Amino acid sequence: MYLFRLALASLSNRRFTALLTVFAIALSVCLLLAVERVRTEARASFANTISGTDLIVGARSGSINLLLYSVFRIGNATNNIRWDSFEQLAQNPRVKWAIPISLGDSHRGYRVMGTNTDYFEHYRYARQQPLELSQGREFADDPFEVVLGAEVAEALHYKLGDELVLAHGVATISLVKHDDKPFHVVGILKRTGTPVDRTLHISLAGMEALHVDWKNGMPAQGADRISAEQVRSMHLQPTAITAVLLGLKSKIATFSLQRDINEYRGEPLLAILPGVALQELWGLMGTAEKALFVVSLFVVITGLIGMLTAILTSLNERRREMAILRSVGARPWHIASLLIFEAFSLALAGVLLGLLLLYVGIAAVQGYVQANYGLYLPLNVPSGYEWMLLGCILGAALLMGCVPAWRAYRQSLADGLSIRL
Amino acid sequence: MTSALISLTDLGFAWPGQPELLDIPSFTLQRGETLFLKGPSGSGKTTLLGLLGGVQKPDRGLIKLLDQDLSALSSGARDRFRVNHTGYIFQQFNLLPFLSVRENVELPCHFSDIRNNRARHRHGSVAKAAAGLLAHLGLTDPRLLERRADSLSIGQQQRVAAARALIGQPELVIADEPTSALDADAREAFLQLLFAECREAGASLLFVSHDQSLAPLFDRNLSLADLNHASRPQEI
Repeated sequence: MYLFRLALASLSNRRFTALLTVFAIALSVCLLLAVERVRTEARASFANTISGTDLIVGARSGSINLLLYSVFRIGNATNNIRWDSFEQLAQNPRVKWAIPISLGDSHRGYRVMGTNTDYFEHYRYARQQPLELSQGREFADDPFEVVLGAEVAEALHYKLGDELVLAHGVATISLVKHDDKPFHVVGILKRTGTPVDRTLHISLAGMEALHVDWKNGMPAQGADRISAEQVRSMHLQPTAITAVLLGLKSKIATFSLQRDINEYRGEPLLAILPGVALQELWGLMGTAEKALFVVSLFVVITGLIGMLTAILTSLNERRREMAILRSVGARPWHIASLLIFEAFSLALAGVLLGLLLLYVGIAAVQGYVQANYGLYLPLNVPSGYEWMLLGCILGAALLMGCVPAWRAYRQSLADGLSIRL
Repeated sequence: MTSALISLTDLGFAWPGQPELLDIPSFTLQRGETLFLKGPSGSGKTTLLGLLGGVQKPDRGLIKLLDQDLSALSSGARDRFRVNHTGYIFQQFNLLPFLSVRENVELPCHFSDIRNNRARHRHGSVAKAAAGLLAHLGLTDPRLLERRADSLSIGQQQRVAAARALIGQPELVIADEPTSALDADAREAFLQLLFAECREAGASLLFVSHDQSLAPLFDRNLSLADLNHASRPQEI
């Protein structure tokens, strides 16, 4: 491949411009791949928020609304589910496990979720990963025990044994606090990269205990108040919960059970498949992600146009080079291929450097991104789609190389052996 | 086969939209002959070299190189024919600056199998042929071979260009003002080296220049103005 060698030698003679061009392409390639990877991983981690749960059941509303408050802790339930409906669901022969969820309180902006220990046992995220404790234990019989999500503990600097007071309602600044019934931290969960990290988990009994003396949405006054000590001796059975996560014995039963729940006569209920609802929700957010992708595509195109400009500007000052090559027997198509090789080499070098930048970049920020955004950026080899993107970039560079190649072809036909400056 | 290396018959050429630049009823260059062709700038010298190299086609008339009618060949075949049988030396900056001296000399062998084979046949390898020619032309230092071409002095560069024109023994060497960048002493020394090498290779030399002082050194000298019957443009 003598021509290829010539092209490289000529390029290295213009190494400063060539390096700049390669660097511009490399940055654009790196950006494109980074956006692509973050996009893929964000989508995957979004889809990974909940797994292993076959159905989510709540009061009848919209499926996205139910998904948002039950899984993402965003928004509020419009209505509750009666405890006896939950019991019926839990006893259904097709149901393997049922986790009750009760929402409505918060602590300094983080949501509090009442549930039972089944939650720690059956809840799964990502690829069937169970929740694990990094310190302490699950909450037990005492109603005033709380298990913190990793982010809550870290952001608010809580450790085992600390006491904290929950607030009524979910506003960041709550006027009504359950300050008569403080909780103490018994466990902290490992980071999951899901909304679990931002949740305080208490038992249903604890949730009930907070509100046992409330009447008409207000705490009882004076003698009607029930102290934490008194509560401990009471039988705390919730009358209503917010949502239920269901695991089924057989996936095949999912649709028939969903239909049965949706047609439940006791009260208006809604059952959703988490995967389907996640898809719907992602569809809503997809536009931003696509826009980002399009922008990075344009950056790549800009990089390639930069390369085209650099090659085209060099053509004039290289007329001598062309004429010398012609005089030693290079045909016009040789000259044209030289320029195409040149464009291709620049793009190839750009792509390779871009990949290198990407991997160095990912290696550098991987830990930080995982810790702060719950996004795991893998250092794996490019996917088929990424290879395809890279191939398209090289193809585009080849196509663009045809422009200076054509001009040089015409130029070398016209100039012939005469050396022009 | 006649002994004429180049023969022009009734050649006419004009650039599009311009008056006829060349009108040469007859011109021949014999094999092994060295010819001085005086041509001031603007006299159609470059165009004539383009025609001899097969880069342009004449409007009328016949150009024969080694008894081959150039107009009868396709443009690709003319390119091949040129490199197979002609070596070029230009005014200055003849070399590709980003290649080494040796690589510059070897260039024609990458584009012509005939010259490649001849170089290998005679010297064993293309690299040896290049080193041998350069040594004959006074560039004996082997370290010089791997230096970048543009690190050499102008005089050295012209000798490298001569070696490149001669490698693989083309039948014709065309030199277009190769000495104009050299001082008077260097000019004659360069020419003597060039003559010796052409003689050894059996090549004809067509030397185009406006510097009449060199003319006596050649077998024959001609003026393009006498050769060309086209009405001459104003000399600058």
